[in-house]
Amino acid sequence: MKYNEFKDLVMAAAKSRSLEEYELYYMESEGFNTEALHHELNSFSTNTEAGACFRCIHDGKIGYASTELFTAEEAGRIVEAAIQNAEAIENTESALIHGAGDTYEDIPPVTTTEPSASQLISLTLDIQEKAYQADSRIIDGTQSFAGFRRTTRSIINSKGLDLSYSCDYTMAGCAAVAGDQGEMFDNYEFKADDFASLDAAKLASGAVADAVAKIGADTVDSGSYPIVFSNKMTATMLSTFFSVFSAEAAQRGMSLLAGKEGQEIAAPSVTVTDDPFPEDSLVRMPFDSEGVATHRKNVVENGRLITLLHNLATAQKAGVSSTGNGQKTSYASTVSIMPYNFYMNKGGAGSREDLFKAAQSGIYITELNGLHAGANPVTGDFSLSSAGFLIENGAKTRPVKNFTISGNFYELLKNIALVGDDLEFQTPHETSCYGAPSIMVKDMAVAGK
Amino acid sequence: MISRNLLTEVLHKALSTGADFAEVYVEHTKENNVTMVDNRVDAITDLLISGVGIRILKGTRCVAGSTSSLERSDLLACAARVAGALDGVSEGRTVSLTERIFGDIHPVRIVPNSASHHRKIDLLKEGYFAAREYHEDISQVSASLLDVDHQILIANSDGLYTGDRQIRTRMFIRAIASKNGENQSGSCAPGRRMGLEVFDLFPPKEIGIEAARQAVTMLHAGYIKAGRMPVAIENGFGGVIFHEACGHSLEASCVSIGQSQFCGKLGQKIANEKVTAIDDGTIPNAWGSINIDDEGAPAQRKILIENGILKSYMIDKLNGRRMGMEGNGSSRRQGYRYETTSRMTNTYIDNGPDKNEDIIKSIEYGLYAKKMGGGSVNPATGSFNFAVDEGYIIRNGEICEPVRGASLIGKGSDVIMDIDMVGQNLETAQGMCGASSGSIPTDVGQPLIRVSSITVGGR
Repeated sequence: MKYNEFKDLVMAAAKSRSLEEYELYYMESEGFNTEALHHELNSFSTNTEAGACFRCIHDGKIGYASTELFTAEEAGRIVEAAIQNAEAIENTESALIHGAGDTYEDIPPVTTTEPSASQLISLTLDIQEKAYQADSRIIDGTQSFAGFRRTTRSIINSKGLDLSYSCDYTMAGCAAVAGDQGEMFDNYEFKADDFASLDAAKLASGAVADAVAKIGADTVDSGSYPIVFSNKMTATMLSTFFSVFSAEAAQRGMSLLAGKEGQEIAAPSVTVTDDPFPEDSLVRMPFDSEGVATHRKNVVENGRLITLLHNLATAQKAGVSSTGNGQKTSYASTVSIMPYNFYMNKGGAGSREDLFKAAQSGIYITELNGLHAGANPVTGDFSLSSAGFLIENGAKTRPVKNFTISGNFYELLKNIALVGDDLEFQTPHETSCYGAPSIMVKDMAVAGK
Repeated sequence: MISRNLLTEVLHKALSTGADFAEVYVEHTKENNVTMVDNRVDAITDLLISGVGIRILKGTRCVAGSTSSLERSDLLACAARVAGALDGVSEGRTVSLTERIFGDIHPVRIVPNSASHHRKIDLLKEGYFAAREYHEDISQVSASLLDVDHQILIANSDGLYTGDRQIRTRMFIRAIASKNGENQSGSCAPGRRMGLEVFDLFPPKEIGIEAARQAVTMLHAGYIKAGRMPVAIENGFGGVIFHEACGHSLEASCVSIGQSQFCGKLGQKIANEKVTAIDDGTIPNAWGSINIDDEGAPAQRKILIENGILKSYMIDKLNGRRMGMEGNGSSRRQGYRYETTSRMTNTYIDNGPDKNEDIIKSIEYGLYAKKMGGGSVNPATGSFNFAVDEGYIIRNGEICEPVRGASLIGKGSDVIMDIDMVGQNLETAQGMCGASSGSIPTDVGQPLIRVSSITVGGR
């Protein structure tokens, strides 16, 4: 059956079990993806998916159950399963279902130009051809890809909440592989945007230029160096260590920022903002996964921690209001905490070339690997496989690879010496998107040869 | 889940524009997760994943589609969308599905989703509080008990109609030790392709104690000084070095498109002669085991490297076509949303000729990596990295003080040549491996090994 019919059955089943507070969260998405290899279309895929998560308060506790199978039997089953799951748990602090009455930012749904399958295929093949043409050292193994996705999220609950919001975007990119003397050097470049704004030539040349620039990379001597993180890698660090700004992690002793509101936690040049609705972003959300209205806020202002990000439960525990960051990582997961457009603001230190000048000699980091393993948000420690370029006499020179940079994120925040002006956002993931300018840090441990 | 008649109809629709092969994959997966934090049962989630993946091949071109709807009209529409990406005409083949049963070599005694919540909660609490009470410096523990009942059905235009039910259970405990404004963490997460009887093999108490022991040990450790040095990597999760440095590069998904450092090297020496490495999907009840792969081919035991010589890749149907080779039971996908490709199952370095004590004794100054964390690799360049969760300095052939913050990096084709001592205490450990076809359970494993020289990241 279709979702609307299923929804009515679930709400009726909840009512017949005399539940007083309950909610159904729904997410559907559809899209298609293309991939080119050599000089032809290698794969094309299309998918549609939908899932629903039922939550209810029973016995003073909250129970969850989810399904992708919309049948009468499942409608009854998820209500019963959620009741049983609520009965068995011991946490009484998360039993919160949000009522209607918030004032939501009036933002239109993010609708972009939906490409046809053949337009998306043409774009992919175009990127691929332009990548081959951009440099004679580009070899087979180079792949280009594109995709379109539309996602709708909605919440309906027993307290009168009935919200829905959809957004869509097209993404395209190129994984360019350059060959030189039997060695391969690769680079990914991708962008999410309105289909009409995606520029095949720009994507291909960007991917190729950065792959070719890595040719001849060697390792570096172990030691301590001034480090410039590219804007992309600064954003990558923010995304890897995002949970240090989560009130849930803090309340559980998993973030060392617990209780530090109002204190200096970063260099004075650092301001970090979470914005759910910047005009030019593909991530815009008027409400969070609990139905709370979202709003823009500074998390760090001139180095001082203003607020952690909260959902209803962490806010209640801390005696504050939710910041509208109650988010599910998938429709079926429990409510956790995630940001929207989470970014470090532009600083006054100029372009990245200005940062190279300030560093004089050091390393410019353009690639970090193994972040899921080599970085630990609970301790702040990181030791990451890296690649980039040497900075010599105040300018970027030869490529370097196969070394690690090590440090601690909490110390890194304080040790940021300069913040550049080249703020850039990464590709969004679900409803989160990270951004940052390039930054310079005075000393960091490097292990090479 | 779906009638054989409807599957046949969907296959015919998928073949209608000239594909030479069509496949339907149906998934029905129940997941149940009990989590604890702050000394109490925090949440229980319950999920039914249900959907269908359709795929067609024409030569080496692949078109795929998926839908979470099982309704006839939606399935036929999905097949039509997939077929629509090719512009040929049907070869006029008639599909006749014949059921095939491969049997189940992974018996399950206590199917987790038929057990009560209380039974699972009791097991989880046993592990949780063992960690919590281990030491006064333990400040937080989080724990979860996840069980998955993954049922799949595969039908294809060659007439294959088969299925499998894959049940797996895993407990994950993470302990945090804190002192003087510093945190350190430790974790332990054993699992098997079996039911709740897995905890007869791994008493929850021991899981909790192991996580807490690691956190407390690391809280009292200093940072390692970076540099190149010999490293002794312990068994179990130490096997992640082979998984990252070599395993991924032997998957046909990168070999077939020339994106692996081991392309065209079959029969050649690629590793130290002490290294024999195996990918075995047939080990009864092992975490990464399967009865059939996600194309419906029976699981196999493949010797990847024998005494240093490359013997085999891990191959799926599509990449096999690109390479002119047959698939070997290596095609895997997380579920219906993902396109299947070649992946690992249980992959390990076999026992070797060296005594473990000789390995430690042979190192004048180096690192003993007792517990490894995860890692990653770029198969094209061979650059890999992984984290050392629990390490110790070796001085004059003896294991000395613990060190934190270490990571190992290098190039896969170099490091497997540099594995110059292989010990004799082979053991496996469980991981979730992420790649293009999703997150799948895989075992890594090895005995204690020595890498003669590798870059150790630290302070």
